Amino acid sequence: MHNFDFVKPGTVADAAAALQGDEAQPLGGGQTLIPTMKQRLAAPETLVSLIGIAEMQGVCKTDAGELSIGGATTHATVEAEAASLFPGLAGLAGRIGDPAVRNRGTIGGSLANNDPAACYPAAALATGATIRTDKREIAADDYFQGMFTTALDEGEIIVEVRMPIPEKSNYQKFLQPASRFALTGVFVAKYADGVRVAVTGASEEGVFRWTEAEQALGSNFAADAISGLSVSADGMINDLHGTPEYRAHLVKVLTGRAVMAAA
Amino acid sequence: MEKFGKSQAVRRVEDVRFLTGEGRYVDDIAPDGALHAYVFRSPVAHAVITGLNTDDAKAADGVHLVLTAADLQDAGLTMDIKASLIRNRDGSKGAGPKRPLLATDRVRFVGEPVAVVVADTVEQAKDAAELIEFDFDELDAHVTVAPGGPDLHPEALENVAFDYGKGDLNAVEEAFANAAHVVEAQIDDNRVIVSSMEPRGCWAEWTNGRLHLCVNGQGVWDQKDGLVNVFGLQPDDIRVTNPDVGGGFGMKAMTYPEYYIIPQAARMLGRPVRWMSERTEAMLSDNAGRDLTSTVALAFDADHKITAYRVDTLCNLGAYNSELGQFIQTDLFAKVLMGTYDVQTTWLGVKGIFTNTTQVDAYRGAGRPEAIYALERAIDYAARQLGVDPWELRRKNFIRPDQFPYKTATGELYDVGDFARVLTRVEAEADKAGFPARKAQSKAQGKLRGLGLCYYIESILGSPTEDAKVTFNDDGTASIYVGTQSNGQGHETVFAQFLSDQTGIPADKISVIQGDSDLIATGGGTGGSRSVTVQSMATLATVDKMITGFTDFLAEDQDVDPNAISFDDERFRIDGSNLTPTMLEVADMARAAGHADLLSFAAQTTLPGRSYPNGAHVAEIEIDPDTGVVEVVKYTVTDDFGNLINPMLAEGQVHGGVAQGIGQAITEHVVYDPDGQLLTASFMDYGLPRANDMPMVTFYSEPVPSTQNPMGMKGCGEAGTVGALAAVANAVLDAVWDEGIYKVDMPFTPNRVWTILQEAKGAAA
Ligand SMILES: Cc1cc2nc3c(=O)[nH]c(=O)nc-3n(C[C@H](O)[C@H](O)[C@H](O)COP(=O)(O)OP(=O)(O)OC[C@H]3O[C@@H](n4cnc5c(N)ncnc54)[C@H](O)[C@@H]3O)c2cc1C
Repeated sequence: MHNFDFVKPGTVADAAAALQGDEAQPLGGGQTLIPTMKQRLAAPETLVSLIGIAEMQGVCKTDAGELSIGGATTHATVEAEAASLFPGLAGLAGRIGDPAVRNRGTIGGSLANNDPAACYPAAALATGATIRTDKREIAADDYFQGMFTTALDEGEIIVEVRMPIPEKSNYQKFLQPASRFALTGVFVAKYADGVRVAVTGASEEGVFRWTEAEQALGSNFAADAISGLSVSADGMINDLHGTPEYRAHLVKVLTGRAVMAAA
Repeated sequence: MEKFGKSQAVRRVEDVRFLTGEGRYVDDIAPDGALHAYVFRSPVAHAVITGLNTDDAKAADGVHLVLTAADLQDAGLTMDIKASLIRNRDGSKGAGPKRPLLATDRVRFVGEPVAVVVADTVEQAKDAAELIEFDFDELDAHVTVAPGGPDLHPEALENVAFDYGKGDLNAVEEAFANAAHVVEAQIDDNRVIVSSMEPRGCWAEWTNGRLHLCVNGQGVWDQKDGLVNVFGLQPDDIRVTNPDVGGGFGMKAMTYPEYYIIPQAARMLGRPVRWMSERTEAMLSDNAGRDLTSTVALAFDADHKITAYRVDTLCNLGAYNSELGQFIQTDLFAKVLMGTYDVQTTWLGVKGIFTNTTQVDAYRGAGRPEAIYALERAIDYAARQLGVDPWELRRKNFIRPDQFPYKTATGELYDVGDFARVLTRVEAEADKAGFPARKAQSKAQGKLRGLGLCYYIESILGSPTEDAKVTFNDDGTASIYVGTQSNGQGHETVFAQFLSDQTGIPADKISVIQGDSDLIATGGGTGGSRSVTVQSMATLATVDKMITGFTDFLAEDQDVDPNAISFDDERFRIDGSNLTPTMLEVADMARAAGHADLLSFAAQTTLPGRSYPNGAHVAEIEIDPDTGVVEVVKYTVTDDFGNLINPMLAEGQVHGGVAQGIGQAITEHVVYDPDGQLLTASFMDYGLPRANDMPMVTFYSEPVPSTQNPMGMKGCGEAGTVGALAAVANAVLDAVWDEGIYKVDMPFTPNRVWTILQEAKGAAA
């Protein structure tokens, strides 16, 4: 790891100011960024820690019936505090990594990083979440722009994530045998006005919505509703843990299981 | 006292230290002020070196030294790392290309050491390493375990390092020609990365021309010999120590370039130098295990008795010969080639292949798991082909109890065994009879269930000779000096317990001293499941000397006939006297009487023969056909380990061995790309088994005491791994056989299993 400066501001404004500096980068839980720095694949000059910012912490239900999660809230906190409000999300948070990762890693870090195998992007997309930054609000459908790519500008801070709370939801995570990230993961969220299905871990384009399944499930929220559908292997990730065909197949299997678990 | 002691399940005393962070591993005890070394390694698998400029690195902050092959040459360090060479079929020796300490003109695998930077801190050393200018012309890489491809070494035509043969090929061919049935199969045994919990590391310090190398090895003496060789020093000028070691599995038994370069750096700088491998570095530079493919064939008579067995193997050596690399799939494989079956007509042919991958050598079991895997897969498959019960086919071919001692076709003398008895026991314990009902239950849940048996036998290896020394210390305690070396197995507990059982000295008053060539002149280290057998035998001989010495002393002191004195495992008894001193008390008396010669006893013993632990592993697995996930759901072991010195630790060895076996069978998947880049170079991609991948392993002991050591025991350190591989693989084949799948190969990762299920569906459609 190369040397760097470290600042820990108490407000979003101070953090935003600190991020104006050359080669400054936000630091959430450090569960992705620190290992990358240790491997010398990243060498920011200044790390701006976001975990001391009070307004970026915690989980609550808004008047509009959304779940609001502070951008620097850890996975463990979401697991605990969303348990009764949004069990599908709490279940997702509780299966990220291991206890050490869950007690450091944050939702903002996960969404900013947009790892193609990460879990939170599936929840954000499936709920049609709003990503609020220090500058603007971004709809999930516009936010994810491919593997490790998002609508965020350099130095832009995810301050809050708001997710409409579904009537029913479930996340099925198929473990990559080594890393235990999602080899493929599917988040199904059922609302009064429709169903959204988001898939992570599978596509070379990053997290995506399986719209055919959404339609089928919209009229019949049952696992057999998708039995006639199939997912194309085109554009699916090919690596030593899964071929494109395997991932495409898993998308369907996991969607069915998620519906079964949610229904 | 029984010669095997009280056979109590004494808990591991060292665990308190290990689990509370009090272990003292090599990196915990580096001398104050030691400089840090970082190894700059080849980023490519095969290339001609065209330039290596370290000027900027040398000038970097905090850097004290940068060493390249040229620098070592200038310093007179021209020796390469030695490896033993196997005999070819034609009597010549296998290829022995030079394995340099640092790459000279070519690099041959990703991770090969090229230069070493020594600096005040490891970060400075890494910073400097980024300034090394390393220029090369890449060559095509050879990564398939087959002859041909771009040559790595001029000594090995077509990359074939050796062509080994053992057995009477003509007789085998004749038996096959006359066979009623022949069953042939091709069986892959996948490569594994050893992944000891503590990676390799060492530090070196010179004091008045004397070298101290502290390294996390499996014994200090071989490493000392290596240093004598490379540095041309007198043995007395070298001290090698092994502190607490976090797992070795054979990988740490072998020597590596760092163990010479670090001492050389320390010598040149006049300061201690330390090096600790990181995980990815370990995955790239530690000896790997297994990595072979075998074509096996069994010949049967009309009654399904095996008449001949033939194995033709291609095994991967990696880019260079490691110390024992050429012996694993040849001589060591041959030890148990025919397993537990009474067949005298066998052939083992092996070609060793150089590839642009990290060197391959011993891994828990070293050749014997590979042999048993091939054989037990073959016999299981043969039973299916012949349409007979796999258990009965084994039973029919077992060496019978009345045939012992039994000389095998490959020259081993099995002392005792009762394989049918062990098999009968495991059949009941595993509830084989209930399997069809369990299979039906799984099916109702959409799962495919399979049951697999492996009947293994193991041959205890390593040096049969070992030393023990017991001293009585001024503070009223005793110490036992051992020539074996714990890598975490629990030696401190067992050796103290064993001495305590035999002498009555309380175990908490006994300290076990190991791993210091200054304190212990010779020893065999840990390896080949040898430790408890060889060490206990040496301890028994030492205890005999103690009893004799103390008896004579008491006789003289008390003025009685030595025959009037006896030792009852706790106290000395003297006919007609109330004096009943313990060992420690006699030692005190001897000390008071000025008898220093009675405060230290030593003995060396050599086992008359090897022991042959054997047993049956029965695995039940479930496959989720929707995802290809294989889960081991039930696991039963019945072992013949002879008498158990500490039943709990023996069972623990089985648990760990089974975990490593299940790891290789299901989760551990090493992948190199065609350019020789290791794609599984961190735990993000290399899947070690986790606790929740493990079933409850039930263990039963069905002992037939060995006749080849006074304890009647059999080594148990490797047995678990030997049994697990084929048990799991046979269970997987059993589960998919009805789907029309007749060949399955490890590792059974979800993607691979799902893919073969899809292929079968496609073929059926
Ligand atoms: C062993 C292990 C297992 C894991 N398993 C899983 C898993 O199963 N599923 C899963 O989804 N993830 C997994 N992760 C990743 C984990 O969830 C991380 O917490 C997450 O990827 C990053 O969050 P962080 O807070 O640690 O971010 P950091 O590492 O601090 O930062 C990551 C990136 O996001 C930026 N950033 C951080 N916070 C913000 C913010 N508020 N606004 C804008 N940019 C920001 C940083 O600058 C950096 O570029 C695992 C990680 C590890 C180490």
